[in-house]
Amino acid sequence: MEDMTSPNQQPATLHILNKAPEHARFEACMNALCPEDILVLSENAVLALTDENAAIPENSLALAPDLAARGLGKDFEEQAISYQDLVRLTEEHPRIISW
Amino acid sequence: MSTLIVVDQAPYGSWAGREALDMTLSLAAFDQPAALLFTGAGVNWLRKHQAPEDIGQKSVEKNLAAAPIFGVEEILADATACQRYGLTEDNMIAGTSMVTDTSATLNSHQQVVFAG
Amino acid sequence: MPTSLTYTLVITGAPWTSQAPQTALAFARELVSAGHQVDRVFLYGDGIHLASALSTPPSDERHWPREWSEFLAENGVPAVACIASALRRGLVDEAEQARYELTGSNLRPPFEIAGLGEWVEGNMKSDRVIYFHGSV
Repeated sequence: MEDMTSPNQQPATLHILNKAPEHARFEACMNALCPEDILVLSENAVLALTDENAAIPENSLALAPDLAARGLGKDFEEQAISYQDLVRLTEEHPRIISW
Repeated sequence: MSTLIVVDQAPYGSWAGREALDMTLSLAAFDQPAALLFTGAGVNWLRKHQAPEDIGQKSVEKNLAAAPIFGVEEILADATACQRYGLTEDNMIAGTSMVTDTSATLNSHQQVVFAG
Repeated sequence: MPTSLTYTLVITGAPWTSQAPQTALAFARELVSAGHQVDRVFLYGDGIHLASALSTPPSDERHWPREWSEFLAENGVPAVACIASALRRGLVDEAEQARYELTGSNLRPPFEIAGLGEWVEGNMKSDRVIYFHGSV
């Protein structure tokens, strides 16, 4: 089995964040991210993709329906994932933090 | 498997902190390892001499002080937030430990949970 | 890769006030499609409003309590509204109506009212526990 532990002794963690960038918890999430972690932006958090001040990791993903709702459906196709993709990510990551 | 419950919302203005405390005490009641981390505005739950009678609420001070007796392993407070809100050992309830690196604290628990 | 995992889903955001019930339902449907099992759904804090039998959105809007109760019934998923969160927010079943001599009850089946022990059990037994919070 591949060793997935990051320097902080936890396996690569899936972070699911639904808060817009101004929300205090958004920054707290950013500070908690480790290099191997995956960040999924959902609901209001997808706005971070358009926010030049939001320091999100380059490999961040965003729920497609939430992007489309906010008029961003065409702009971030590379980062867009489905609910089905989110399920798969939860399969692959035993440690999940819902922010 | 240890669970860290995080309280980042200010006291009395919303019920979130109480719901977090209830979750923590429930874990402890079932002998599940649980710790509580207060951060951001949430550190104000730890201030001494809370007197919420005139706003029609009950103080959580006693519940928090009793948490270790019920088996809650640690009550932690983010040092940066404490400094921001003028909280020191003198005006904080006893039994709290400061943490300077909340990210490391999060990463030392298998589960990290917010009540809302 | 495990073929079937068990999930506990916790909803703390209220319908309409937040997207929590919608995101959770879309996720839950995909869980089932993927062959996973939803062990239980636990409503906490403002999430308990999802279990109201009296929600009456306009007819051309999604009816989140009804859609959730249909999903739960179709898939045999147990669902609980936390009693402490429910009672103070005015969500009661017949037993609580009798106990407190209230004028009515409004719990939407198949939701039941129970304590935080249900959440603790999910925490202990389920492979995954996912939370759907409000976002403000």
